[in-house]
Amino acid sequence: MAKLEIENVALRFLPRGGKPVTALEGITLAVEKNEFAVIVGPSGCGKSSLLRLVAGLIEPTTGIIRLDGKAVTRPGKDRGMVFQSYTLFPWLTVQENVEFGLRVGGVPAEERRKTARHFITEVGLEGFERSYPRQLSGGMMQRVALARALANDPEILLMDEPFGALDSQTRSLMQELLLKIWEHAQKTVLFITHDIDEAIFLGDRVHVMTARPGRIKEMVEIDIPRPRSVEVLTEPKFIALKRRIMGLIHEEAVRAMA
Amino acid sequence: MRSAFEAYTAPKKEIPRSVYLTVSAFVGISVLAGWCILSYGGFVRPDFLPTPADVVWAGVSGLQDGSLLLNTAVSVGEIMAGFILASIAAVPLGILMGSFKIVEAAIEPVTNFVRYLPVSALIPLLILWVGIDMSEKITVIFIGTLFQQLILIADVSRGVSHDLLDVSYTLGADRRTVVTRVLVPATMPGVMDTLRVTLGWAWTYLVVAELVAANKGLGYFILNSMRGLFTDQIFLGITVIGLLGLLTDQLFKAFRNWLLPWAAEN
Repeated sequence: MAKLEIENVALRFLPRGGKPVTALEGITLAVEKNEFAVIVGPSGCGKSSLLRLVAGLIEPTTGIIRLDGKAVTRPGKDRGMVFQSYTLFPWLTVQENVEFGLRVGGVPAEERRKTARHFITEVGLEGFERSYPRQLSGGMMQRVALARALANDPEILLMDEPFGALDSQTRSLMQELLLKIWEHAQKTVLFITHDIDEAIFLGDRVHVMTARPGRIKEMVEIDIPRPRSVEVLTEPKFIALKRRIMGLIHEEAVRAMA
Repeated sequence: MRSAFEAYTAPKKEIPRSVYLTVSAFVGISVLAGWCILSYGGFVRPDFLPTPADVVWAGVSGLQDGSLLLNTAVSVGEIMAGFILASIAAVPLGILMGSFKIVEAAIEPVTNFVRYLPVSALIPLLILWVGIDMSEKITVIFIGTLFQQLILIADVSRGVSHDLLDVSYTLGADRRTVVTRVLVPATMPGVMDTLRVTLGWAWTYLVVAELVAANKGLGYFILNSMRGLFTDQIFLGITVIGLLGLLTDQLFKAFRNWLLPWAAEN
């Protein structure tokens, strides 16, 4: 049994006074335990909606999503999420932000503090425990958001273009950091991006989505050995995979424009 | 090298602190000087425009016979009572109204109706219903402030990012926790700003109410001074209101920065 199973999921909604929109159609997808799965697709293909479905923040019109064989019906701490927008609580310090999930879950103060410290160190922010979010850069805020999600020890980590708002140097550092943490933490990750380089660099498998209505067009195995460093970006194998995925996305982008 | 004129007149650019203070002082002193010239120079009759010294003396004698302090205390008491009562109701209701559609449906239509009524139009009715004592002033301030606060605070609450709530759910928070630990703290800077602005408006409602029917308070003091053509006292009343406004605003700002250090303003 796969860790996460998405079975024949569709998402339709009726905008007020408009025609019904099919955002997602017939999505079937499985993510194995400890796999780093990436979904890549043109903008507006509904990939963010798919992630919110897995998070339980919205409900599918048809189909079913299972985590460890159990149907997803509502949000829960077994599915931690990192958003593209900055979602730190501005009134809490870095330490308190990372502790938030544990606190809500009733974990004793001492244990909370220890766990938070561990993940703050893991994302390289020791010394910033008492800072408030507005004193941090964008990249630092996303690192805190990652630590906050990990501190809750979720079964799967859902990441919705978490580095999308960062400049390209910071983004590439964040990608390396994320891989390092993922290799330590042995986590299942479902990562969403529109950046093909990012998808190949991070993923074990990349699912390419079609333009609206979003479907899974093709699944691409990324057989680049780990650990990976930025050097792989220029290897022939990387370039071949990039060409293939670009081709798939390009067809979709053109179709969406037409 | 750019000229000083060019540097100091660029939109949205900082200017040196010394220049800033000089300009502020210059305008303040000019107004005062203009007043001195017009009054001491005999260009305007003293019962139209008192001299600065007259106003200071009116203040001194007001302090001596206790009337100034009494009237100020009455006004401040009425403002505080009306404003605090309105805020106690408006903060929770406004937050709920901005984030729960069902509460919005219940309260917003009524609020928008009342909000556009000038409170001064309600004063005659309130005099009939409540009388002309302190409770009428408090009611005027309460009604005038409450509905404005509701709309503004609902907007603050509406503006809280959905992602902030969603991320809390994915961290395991239930609905109640999301409201108390996320929604409410997220609205606090906006709520404090709203309270600060509406406290200024409350002064307007109070003075209007005191001008219509009162036997105490700064509005009454001003009106009564007009009847005797004591222009110096009118000026005194206005100055006291202005200074009180300035003082409460500064206190509010300090309070906000103390309460919400993570959203402190300079």
